[in-house]
Amino acid sequence: MNHKKQITMMLNGKQISAEIEPRRHLVDFLREDLGLKGPHLGCEQGACGACTVRVNGQIVRGCLYLAVQADGATIETVEGLTEQGVLSDLQEAFLRHNALQCGFCTSGMLLAAAELIEHQPKSNREQIREWISGNYCRCTGYHSIVDAIMEVLEARADGRKVKPVTAA
Amino acid sequence: MKAAAFDYVKAKNLTEAIALLSEHGEDAQLIAGGQTLLATLNLRLSEPSILIDITAVSELKDISLHGNILRIGALVTHTEIERSDLIAQHAPLLTEAAPHIAHRAIRNLGTWGGSLAYGDPAAEWPACSLALDAVMVIQGPDGVRKVSAKDFFIDLYTTTLQADEILVASEIPLASSNQDHCFQELARRHGDYAAVGLAAMIRKDKGEVQTCRLAFFSVAAIPTMATKAQAFIEGKSIDAAVIQQAVNLAREEIETLADITNSQETKTHLLGVLLERALTKMMP
Amino acid sequence: MELKGEQLIAAPVSKVWLGLNDVTVLHASIPGCEEIERISEEEVRAKVMFKIGPVRARFSGRLILSDIVPNASCSMAFEGSGGAAGFAKGKARVELIGAEGGTLVRYSTEASIGGKLGQIGGRLISASAKKIADDFFLAFANELGGEISLVSDAKLDD
Repeated sequence: MNHKKQITMMLNGKQISAEIEPRRHLVDFLREDLGLKGPHLGCEQGACGACTVRVNGQIVRGCLYLAVQADGATIETVEGLTEQGVLSDLQEAFLRHNALQCGFCTSGMLLAAAELIEHQPKSNREQIREWISGNYCRCTGYHSIVDAIMEVLEARADGRKVKPVTAA
Repeated sequence: MKAAAFDYVKAKNLTEAIALLSEHGEDAQLIAGGQTLLATLNLRLSEPSILIDITAVSELKDISLHGNILRIGALVTHTEIERSDLIAQHAPLLTEAAPHIAHRAIRNLGTWGGSLAYGDPAAEWPACSLALDAVMVIQGPDGVRKVSAKDFFIDLYTTTLQADEILVASEIPLASSNQDHCFQELARRHGDYAAVGLAAMIRKDKGEVQTCRLAFFSVAAIPTMATKAQAFIEGKSIDAAVIQQAVNLAREEIETLADITNSQETKTHLLGVLLERALTKMMP
Repeated sequence: MELKGEQLIAAPVSKVWLGLNDVTVLHASIPGCEEIERISEEEVRAKVMFKIGPVRARFSGRLILSDIVPNASCSMAFEGSGGAAGFAKGKARVELIGAEGGTLVRYSTEASIGGKLGQIGGRLISASAKKIADDFFLAFANELGGEISLVSDAKLDD
């Protein structure tokens, strides 16, 4: 029984095509077929957020989205967004505030934070906490992540750049 | 665990979607947002032989006004509802409820129609549709039919949708100028299944309640209206005594069903707490 | 998970007893029953597709009767495997009592659901069991040509 389908998508700015089984979800396709290890798999139930990627400009659970559904779509992972725009500010802030330890949640956390900054730039700490409650972190205890996101929001509100982290 | 193998077809329009559903029958499952279905398939709690993707059916994607009716297409996502100016103006209960649904990433894909068609007892939209006197628009091989929300949810995960039908939209009367609403949801953590929830709507005339809708969710197998409490409140002005009596009535009339985290008694207690908060908020 | 209930079926005790032991009647009454086969006087094997919401779990299992008192009561032990979805095991006691209007069917069940269904579905297992029981009795009564009236709703204990 071969149900493989032909798909074409824009992935991190490049057009790619592939033939895949419909049952393969987007994260397995990205990680196993394309070697993009940024998004991670935690629960495969949509609860933990480690698999968060961007489809057509918005965050989704990569484990609850089939690769075949990405046909004709624009997909972005942390690899494609790294060190540019809001991601670069977030990465600096995450480093400064020690907002990552093992890094498993970080890709998802960055993408979720980026969407918050884009859509709700006036968020306070409580609202940040509510927004990122869909991304589980077992290491940091979340405070430092909230601090980092807060720093980026405040910098943007003040119209300044987030200071890059440099060796002392 | 990974999903078992299945075939996949994407319907180009509603007619094709309905034809595909009739053709494949029980072997198929529809996929729209997929936020419930794919989680189910990932655990192999279902092994359909084919998925029928309806996300390209553009006629199901609009939020539109038709006279004094607001029409929400089945494929409208929770985030689109959250961000819609039309909904904020004409059905603000939904704007208030939307952020309570799961988390942003899930809201970006999950759909109005999907939530209603499954009728999960803890879901927000079924209760909201009851509170707003929504009418469900359903299409199948024999054509279109309409069912009011209060006749739509009949048992656990069971609506009046037949196996060969698709929910295409809901029609909601526009919020009148004398309409107020309140949405309450209690959960241990944001995004968890509700312990108890309430979607409430009232219409007042000179301080006196003309219409009262109190739709509770996560209290029983289906979203449940406190009809006796509603009837009691209608014709009266809301004050502390009315609130107290309404709370007692609601607690008496609703037969709560325990779930894995909360007993019947807890749910009965909490539904009264939410009702008190909602009525207090809608008092002025 | 425990489930107890009573249903009044407008048919005489002997007819209800025969119905409960007739695999053709059971086939038509058990929601989602795809196959059913009597192996011996005490044992029945069946394949049932449980459809609740998005879940479609096909269970293969068997039912073993014991303590059979014809036209009165019996005990049942059941076990079923739902493949990757999980498994179910339990026992039930069924009593038939002649009453005004027909036969009172009194049942009590203790079941455990394991595997994925138990973990993830645990939230709604009790409500699902109640629905399955209600659906079963509705169909069963229809098969016997009678009607049912709810004496007392199925009661749940977790």
